[in-house]
Amino acid sequence: MNRLTQKLDKLRKENKKALVAYLVAGDPDMDSTLEIMHLFVKSGVDIIEVGVPFTDPIAEGPIIQRAHDRAIRKKVSLEDIFTLIEKFRSKDDETPLVLMGYLNSFIFYKNLIIENKNNSVDSILVVDIPGELKIKDYGIENENINTISLISPTTKVERIESIANNSSGFIYYVTLRGVTGSSNLNSEEIIKNIDTIKKYAKVPTLAGFGIKSEEDAKLLSKHSDGVIIGSSIVKMIEDNSKTKEFAKIGDYLVSMKKAIT
Amino acid sequence: MSSKTSNLPDQNGFYGKYGGKFVPETLMYALEQLEETYNNLKDNKDFRKQFYKDLSEFVGRPSPLYFAERLTQHYGTGSIWLKREDLNHTGAHKINNTIGQILLAKHMGKKRIIAETGAGQHGVATATVAARLGLECHIYMGAEDVIRQSLNVYRIKLLGAQVHSVDSGSATLKDALNEALRDWVTNVDDTYYIIGSVTGPHPYPMIVRDFNSVVGEELIEQSKELFNAMPDAIVACVGGGSNAMGAFYPFININQTRLIGVEAGGEGVETGEHAAPLNDGEPGVLHGALSYLMQDEKGQVKETKSVSAGLDYPGVGPEHSWLKDSGRAEYVAVSDQDALRAFHEVSEFEGIIPALETAHAFAYLDTLMKEFDSKANIIVNVSGRGDKDINTVAKIDGIKF
Repeated sequence: MNRLTQKLDKLRKENKKALVAYLVAGDPDMDSTLEIMHLFVKSGVDIIEVGVPFTDPIAEGPIIQRAHDRAIRKKVSLEDIFTLIEKFRSKDDETPLVLMGYLNSFIFYKNLIIENKNNSVDSILVVDIPGELKIKDYGIENENINTISLISPTTKVERIESIANNSSGFIYYVTLRGVTGSSNLNSEEIIKNIDTIKKYAKVPTLAGFGIKSEEDAKLLSKHSDGVIIGSSIVKMIEDNSKTKEFAKIGDYLVSMKKAIT
Repeated sequence: MSSKTSNLPDQNGFYGKYGGKFVPETLMYALEQLEETYNNLKDNKDFRKQFYKDLSEFVGRPSPLYFAERLTQHYGTGSIWLKREDLNHTGAHKINNTIGQILLAKHMGKKRIIAETGAGQHGVATATVAARLGLECHIYMGAEDVIRQSLNVYRIKLLGAQVHSVDSGSATLKDALNEALRDWVTNVDDTYYIIGSVTGPHPYPMIVRDFNSVVGEELIEQSKELFNAMPDAIVACVGGGSNAMGAFYPFININQTRLIGVEAGGEGVETGEHAAPLNDGEPGVLHGALSYLMQDEKGQVKETKSVSAGLDYPGVGPEHSWLKDSGRAEYVAVSDQDALRAFHEVSEFEGIIPALETAHAFAYLDTLMKEFDSKANIIVNVSGRGDKDINTVAKIDGIKF
């Protein structure tokens, strides 16, 4: 079974919430990315989302945009990311890995996804494909890789149903109207919408976008199956990209894990 | 708004394999709402009446189809006709689309208008219609373009809109579009995004085409009236492709008329330093649509090069990609150097200073006119006037004010 499905099943049985951590591959360089991925796991992260750098990341706020820019200056491609993941897998064959990026990158490198050497990637999240379309329609097909769909506060109920039917990994509930790293969480709306999604979804529903503090994480994890942390981590990577001392990220994630436990 | 000359896009917004709605989920509802509103209004009598009234009284339509006598003499064959979109209020074809879209925004009760702009013409056209209705207006513009189109930046500000200079990426039109999309994702409930070309996610390429098709509709009537035949060719520049699409669309089923789009060849298509995705690109996804796209060897969107800010865009409207593949339209490229030469020539021959974008279409006449005999009627779509480009051209010519 796919590592992601396995992990989510296990968490569900143990009545635990998932902690998902995001970074952009190659920010500030590939060695650091590998080091931080292992640090994530050591600090209690259940699932890692590896951002695939793209020149035009329209859903990202300034923090993650800058990370994409830094990685692109290093000429990081999806091909390099598969090499990175191979290195990661030589030490960690358990942690589910999700590739998160934009459709153009996946179409361009579809052969890598189709091949998915040693099944090292577990899931793909394409930010700019509508939930009712399937990436296999674009020739990106691999039965061992599942797909994660986004549902947002503006998604109508009829579409929630069809998107929920289409998701095979988890449903990523976008907690706000805005780009990654914004800060206008409306907890009442979030809770109502997650409850609606859960009526239709066969897979777990996780919440992300704009989750920064332990309080945010605590509140959202009560209603969802887990939380996704992106911009706060990427900001810490940015702040420490010269010294390459990333231990603080570990401390932050330990406290976030505690908050959702 | 055009009477239907093709069944495209299909109900999912595709022109063949091109187009679609490749956007973050947050925008899907807004796009559906827009599509529904547009479909309900486009054949509504009152809506159409208001649209054509505004075009007539505020924009000054119809724009003339003008016989370019000295240019025709220069080539010594055929007859060259100019569709004078440069005479529109605000100086370019862009106003046709913004007049239509602001009516949609008003109907939808949106209070805030956003737009991206490259050369600044769409920014001016948007700020103009927003001012007319007293709506808050924000224009996103690449930092590079803010410098090279400073005149239009000031015009936009005079019209009461805010200009947001975009520093990310290549700091040009594509980055302005990214930033406008991010604004829309954030303020989707009360904001209407007026996209300025036949690009972006469905239904925009269709809506912009339909509103701007007034150009081609007039051309059909004017051709009958002035030379009693359909033209042998229509030549138009293509960046995102709205002026070309507006001129081409009503002619899609008029097979005797060749449709020729001229892209920005920059330093020359062979150098790779250009903005000509239909000549030298591969299908890819940018700004919500699958279309020909300039990409590097790693699937990243390439930075483009063109003397003309309005053509400096790595993508192109999806319907143009379809017209290219189907063979109905031809797409060529013209270098900066040739466009600049045409800019001067047309100014001197015709007393019309064309926009640098339009100069690309004129430059292609050098090649095209050799293919026609004296009976041929060739239309150049003069998409805009060149006042905005005076600083750019003067600088290239080494002139200081």
